[in-house]
Amino acid sequence: PLRPSPLGPRAQVRVCADGGANRVFDGMPELLPGHARDDVRSRYKPDVIKGDMDSVRPEVKEYYSNLGTKIADQSHDQDTTDLHKCVAFITDNSPGSDKSNLCILVLGALGGRFDHEMGNINVLHLFPNIKIVLLSDDCLIFLLPRTHTHSIHIERSVEGPHCGLIPVGTPSTSTTTTGLRWNLDNTHMSFGGLISTSNIVDEDQVMVTSDSDLIWTISLRH
Amino acid sequence: RCASWTSEAPVAVGDADQIQFLKHSTRTRATINCNFSEHAPCPMEPHHPRRAPTAAMDPPSPAGARPAMSHSSAFLLPSSATPAASADAYAVVVLNQRLPRFAPLLWDRAQVRVCADGGANRVFDGMPELLPGHARDDVRSRYKPDVIKGDMDSVRPEVKEYYSNLGTKIADQSHDQDTTDLHKCVAFITDNSPGSDKSNLCILVLGALGGRFDHEMGNINVLHLFPNIKIVLLSDDCLIFLLPRTHTHSIHIERSVEGPHCGLIPVGTPSTSTTTTGLRWNLDNTHMSFGGLISTSNIVDEDQVMVTSDSDLIWTISLRH
Repeated sequence: PLRPSPLGPRAQVRVCADGGANRVFDGMPELLPGHARDDVRSRYKPDVIKGDMDSVRPEVKEYYSNLGTKIADQSHDQDTTDLHKCVAFITDNSPGSDKSNLCILVLGALGGRFDHEMGNINVLHLFPNIKIVLLSDDCLIFLLPRTHTHSIHIERSVEGPHCGLIPVGTPSTSTTTTGLRWNLDNTHMSFGGLISTSNIVDEDQVMVTSDSDLIWTISLRH
Repeated sequence: RCASWTSEAPVAVGDADQIQFLKHSTRTRATINCNFSEHAPCPMEPHHPRRAPTAAMDPPSPAGARPAMSHSSAFLLPSSATPAASADAYAVVVLNQRLPRFAPLLWDRAQVRVCADGGANRVFDGMPELLPGHARDDVRSRYKPDVIKGDMDSVRPEVKEYYSNLGTKIADQSHDQDTTDLHKCVAFITDNSPGSDKSNLCILVLGALGGRFDHEMGNINVLHLFPNIKIVLLSDDCLIFLLPRTHTHSIHIERSVEGPHCGLIPVGTPSTSTTTTGLRWNLDNTHMSFGGLISTSNIVDEDQVMVTSDSDLIWTISLRH
């Protein structure tokens, strides 16, 4: 966001959902090859490992536990996805009742098993008042709840130009945008009909108003 | 009034400030109904929904009155098996992502093989990688697309030339920006398959999942646009296909290659009522929607899963490694 946030520009809380801990353990040293692995692992130590605990390797769980990471085993709760548990944990543990400054950045929610991806997108719909961004190497997505008009600032150095607006859960009778190459003007969108994909951001600010929840997506530059 | 990305307090529709703000927009109305050859290309997909008229106009009928549709992933079985395949004719479409490990198997089973633009690069590079025991030129001539179709903005020139020299048809459609590459390929395959009855045709699509999210959603929309054609999107991890609301569905589970994780997703529209059998957690006249319940991380418990719904659903099942 343009306004400085009390939380600051980088993450203050880091949560691994179950096997996400394996990915951090293996992946961070790979992404920072110039540094000693143990240095990287202690610097990039999760605050919490949360979830079913059926994917995290025992040695990884033990490694982080020895470094002080909290292990929050929720294998008894099969009714919510790992991401749902993590979002609930973060919102329960962030200070104040106003979560409008909080932004949850999620890695590993896209691609892979399709039902997992859809479950993760459903978490965006279940927490419409929390900013949750799902990121991959190729793109990011977040929810534009129908209760608001939206102003999306485009960071052209890192994202774009490809974008889209997707009525994932419900058709939209009317969506209107500005700032796109092919703007919508009170346009109907639905699966089985028109959805906005392979659009282009033409301006630094994109405005969206819709009668339905939409998923905004934009490509990330390599 | 709106701040940068931070969504402001709710603005009632018709609020004077909001309407004023939108009127100040410099953008004019979207060129939805553009003439392809004259106006700026419009990526809305599609311009003209190609949903079969009967499917679109028939109201959902009681479960007993709906015709049955059966589904099988027998095409994933090793070629030595003699499956009771539900499709007589397979087509393979390769989109621009890394080939899944079973690409050669599906290619061998198909009668038509189409690469969408950069999908040709993936076949050129990926097939020899998946079949390392063979000479690359042998692999490439054996796994030669019948057609390379699409915008031609991703396929490498040398790849296009290589296959063109082997006889691959190059169907340049860079003038048509209104439909996705997958849409073009599906239309091509259905236009070129014999007979008017496409019920034996099954189009297997590689590279449609993952990657850019808008591409993935556009590909899923193709399933909704062609509800009467069996189209399966596959990745290394899973496969998905549409269960149109006009039918009751019987899904045969090939336990040796797929499962146990599965799901039913109401993409596009909520489902007021879905009923299943054969799952660990069956639905019973259950409501499903984004923002509510959707069926993910379910388990197939029986060899046959039955699904009836008042909405189009996406079925997904994990693939065994």
